[in-house]
Amino acid sequence: MSASVVGRAVSRVEGVAKVTGAARYAADTEVTGVTHAVLVKSTIARGRVTGIDTAKATAAPGVLGVFTHQNMPRLTVPGPQTMFLKGFLPVQDGEIRYSGQPVAIVVAGTLEQARYAATLVKPAYDAETPQVSLAANMDLAYLPEPHPMSGPPVYTRGDVAAGLESADVKVAAEYSTPLQHHNAMEPTAMVAAWDGDRLTVHASTQGVGDLQRSLMAAFGLPGESVRVVCPYLGGGFGGKALSWPEPILVAAVARQVRRPVKLVLTRADSYTASGHRAETRHSLQVGATRDGRLTAIDHTLTQQVSRTDELMFNNPGQTRVIYACPNVRTTQRAVRLDLPIANFTRSPEASGGHALESALDELAYALNMDPVELRLRNWSATNQETGHPHGSNHLRECYRRGAQRFGWARRDPRPGSMRDRDGLIGWGMATAAHASGGVPGAGADLVIKEDGTARIRSATQDVGTGTYTVMTQIGADVLGLPLRGVEFALGDSAFPRSVVAAASTTVPSVGEAVVRAATQGRDRLIALAVADSKSPLHGLDPKRVAARDGHLFDTERPSRRIAHREVMRRHGKPIEVVVSPAAFTPRRFSVGAYFAEVHVDPGIGRIRLRRVVGVFDPGRVINPKTARSQVIGGAIWCVGIALTEHTLVDPYLGRVLTPNLSGYLLPVNADVPDIEVDFIDRPDPSSPALGARGFGEVPSTGLTAAIGNAVYHATGVRVRDLPITPEKVIKS
Amino acid sequence: MDDFAYTRPDRPQVAVALAARPGARFVAGGTDLLNLMKDGAEHHDHLIDINALPLSGLRKVEGRIEIGALSRMSDVAAHPAVREGLPVLSQALLAGASPQVRNMASMGGNLLQRTRCWYFRDAAMPCNKRSPGSGCPAIKGQNRRHAIVGGSEHCIAVHPSDLAVALTALGATVHTLSPRGARSIPMAGFYLSPGNTPHQETVLGQGELITRIDVPVTPLARGSRYVKLRERATFEFALVSVAALVRTQGGVVREAGLAFGGIAPRPWRPAAVEEALVGRPLDAAAIKAAGAALVRDAVPREHNAFKVALVQRALAEALGEFGGSR
Repeated sequence: MSASVVGRAVSRVEGVAKVTGAARYAADTEVTGVTHAVLVKSTIARGRVTGIDTAKATAAPGVLGVFTHQNMPRLTVPGPQTMFLKGFLPVQDGEIRYSGQPVAIVVAGTLEQARYAATLVKPAYDAETPQVSLAANMDLAYLPEPHPMSGPPVYTRGDVAAGLESADVKVAAEYSTPLQHHNAMEPTAMVAAWDGDRLTVHASTQGVGDLQRSLMAAFGLPGESVRVVCPYLGGGFGGKALSWPEPILVAAVARQVRRPVKLVLTRADSYTASGHRAETRHSLQVGATRDGRLTAIDHTLTQQVSRTDELMFNNPGQTRVIYACPNVRTTQRAVRLDLPIANFTRSPEASGGHALESALDELAYALNMDPVELRLRNWSATNQETGHPHGSNHLRECYRRGAQRFGWARRDPRPGSMRDRDGLIGWGMATAAHASGGVPGAGADLVIKEDGTARIRSATQDVGTGTYTVMTQIGADVLGLPLRGVEFALGDSAFPRSVVAAASTTVPSVGEAVVRAATQGRDRLIALAVADSKSPLHGLDPKRVAARDGHLFDTERPSRRIAHREVMRRHGKPIEVVVSPAAFTPRRFSVGAYFAEVHVDPGIGRIRLRRVVGVFDPGRVINPKTARSQVIGGAIWCVGIALTEHTLVDPYLGRVLTPNLSGYLLPVNADVPDIEVDFIDRPDPSSPALGARGFGEVPSTGLTAAIGNAVYHATGVRVRDLPITPEKVIKS
Repeated sequence: MDDFAYTRPDRPQVAVALAARPGARFVAGGTDLLNLMKDGAEHHDHLIDINALPLSGLRKVEGRIEIGALSRMSDVAAHPAVREGLPVLSQALLAGASPQVRNMASMGGNLLQRTRCWYFRDAAMPCNKRSPGSGCPAIKGQNRRHAIVGGSEHCIAVHPSDLAVALTALGATVHTLSPRGARSIPMAGFYLSPGNTPHQETVLGQGELITRIDVPVTPLARGSRYVKLRERATFEFALVSVAALVRTQGGVVREAGLAFGGIAPRPWRPAAVEEALVGRPLDAAAIKAAGAALVRDAVPREHNAFKVALVQRALAEALGEFGGSR
């Protein structure tokens, strides 16, 4: 008997296609007669376009059309239910809401022609002074309207004032995180082609279904007329999770020039086109008893929103959910600025979690208590926001195992107490946590072919996280087929409706649908086998029959078996199953513990991360290899957030100053030490996906605080404003 | 990017004759120039590709190493004579860019790379260097990476080359060729201060080609080192940097060459820093005095004041290698 394919460290099923170049990303799409679009973007951040001179551009070689708000077809702004959250479509009116807003689109026969002609488009502006600084405009903060994607503007349980009053020890501090960008390796690309009134768009999107619906809304088309295709993504991190205007604009101009049109955003475009992590400020007050039991947490977030939306993607969920604390208030305030819309950025809970986990470290010092012990004392078996038990929660074991692997017991807690020849050593830790339940809306279909192999389809996406692989594993496990006997297809809006690949929801949502589809398919296969008089399983109670290694077998006499292939050959036609989306999926949290070692030379402010240990509880691990990759990627995100990444905006002109990978400092390999990863790997009994919960966002929370806490331990300097750059730690 | 003509001559005399016309520009590795042209920060209608010119390679002669201007950064950095005799040069080259860029970028082109000032690099912004008279938004804007010394009210952009800092400390000489003939320019006189003409960065005239860089090989240079401070471990321009050449005898500094990067519009080698050290024991007081001399005339701005302290720390770090205590 072979072990299940679930839980095995399987390499990516699409890996060979990717490394050989066979995988076709959106920009690789070959469409006959394709033409090329280039965006002309506003150079002011606020005001109006008073006129656009397009004469030279229109006359330039190869130009097929120059589109401005004056000649662009009128389009319907899609509603937020299609994940179009920007609130307006550019190139529809002359108003400028941020610098970098598209004001014209040039279409030409070649990319070079389009790029050149775009430089000839000359907009004239009536510019107003923009407001782009959060710090300078904190007095404009307000409570936005509640929105399901934002989390509650104000959440309260218990009596926070009384809880703080009763505390023996209190910590109050403010933490800030800067504007940051996703910087997916693959720039967003799209190719739009019309066939009469039928539109096909190949696009880099984390939500083929949402983008399809936003195109339907923009053009007033029925679903069967719009198809969105995205088989591969070179990363997204939330930047491709919304429905953005560009595919709509490109489809609109393709219709005008009567040719397919391709647009590949430049790296610079991506700093204004695809959202960002908003600049945030977190003000925290935390109270505890002398023995370290939390009595109150008051957590106020203030973040930037745009002129045309007020969605909050830095919801302090961990503060409400994780720790046992009777009195908690979280408040989310917004400041409208003349910047592009912010959106989720791996992970949306990174900034709130950073603030909470930094404050708990400060509390641990105030209590003179080990920070692991403080967290153990406040562990909760229930989700503190809902009051319901977690499906499972092995966070305490994450702390213990992580501490052991790291050697935490050898830590001298006094700041500046640990050093080597070259400088100071700091050890810090923090909890990682992120919502990881499913969301309703994922369906799938299944075909068991006459050769006994199966194909499962769902209009989900693989952002690079491993969806192809883990869904193949889940399908193969339930169907009792080897991996190669199952093909999982995704990234096509013509497949059964699914959900956006974001927020750690894919495994519990799509995985649930795959489990149901595969279970129904297997049951029908078993029904055929027990009904067939020539089958060795004939007449058996179907409950006695199981599937494994490409065979159905009698669980009481396993040698009595028949191959899937044989059952299907005799059946003579495929088995087809369609499952509609589940109406309910449980809300869950996945958790973990990070431990970090930094080395600091306080003379010159040099901070180097030396060691990271992360232990996680994502329920059952479907694939240790892709899960480990998620941790490594998430940890590297945290290294950037903690130490190097920040998008700079000019305070007067409102332009992004770092729209490239030279100015925007992502960590390089030399900044990333060995990352030791471990999983508790115990199934969540409440999981609808073979014991697994969502996980992708979890490892991109917590480590920022562990690094900041380690820097404090090394130096005695508490840097509350990210990133922790040299000037913040050099001793005076 | 605008259309441009492209010529690939194989003789230096032809190259400089072609380049004498305004609008012409030499290209070697192209690692900076092509970005500038694509981003609209520079416009040239004729690129003269000099890669076919016989200007590559290193030559050791009495008292100096002659480096052909087309030698690639990676080749120079790895050359045994450079690693042994001019460690500061090898270290500065390896501290710059990435292996891919170093394999392409030429020595001459490195000296002529343009500032990383984000206002200069964005053609939609005012910038006195790119568009004389349009203003300098960095003075009141985001100036964390900008100059604390040597700037003017017209420009506080920083010269980005690590190589130029090392060559300045080493007292190298740049050899050039133009239609008017050949000449040699000491590094100390190669770059211009911005004043009210920040668009003029060097003394080179139109069509003047760097052919060779001569670096003196001296006992002072043998123990030299380069210290570069930055946020990430590699592939980043300096916040501050120091090229340090120090010769001590009996604990007393006999000779010093100290140049600084990341703090000024040109490689910065103030005589006062070396004067503060020479003839004194390399102790904390001398290092402190040298640091104070370095930043005496600093004009810090809103976001770059930290460089005043950081560059002194970098100096102390560099001198620590020569027995100084920081």
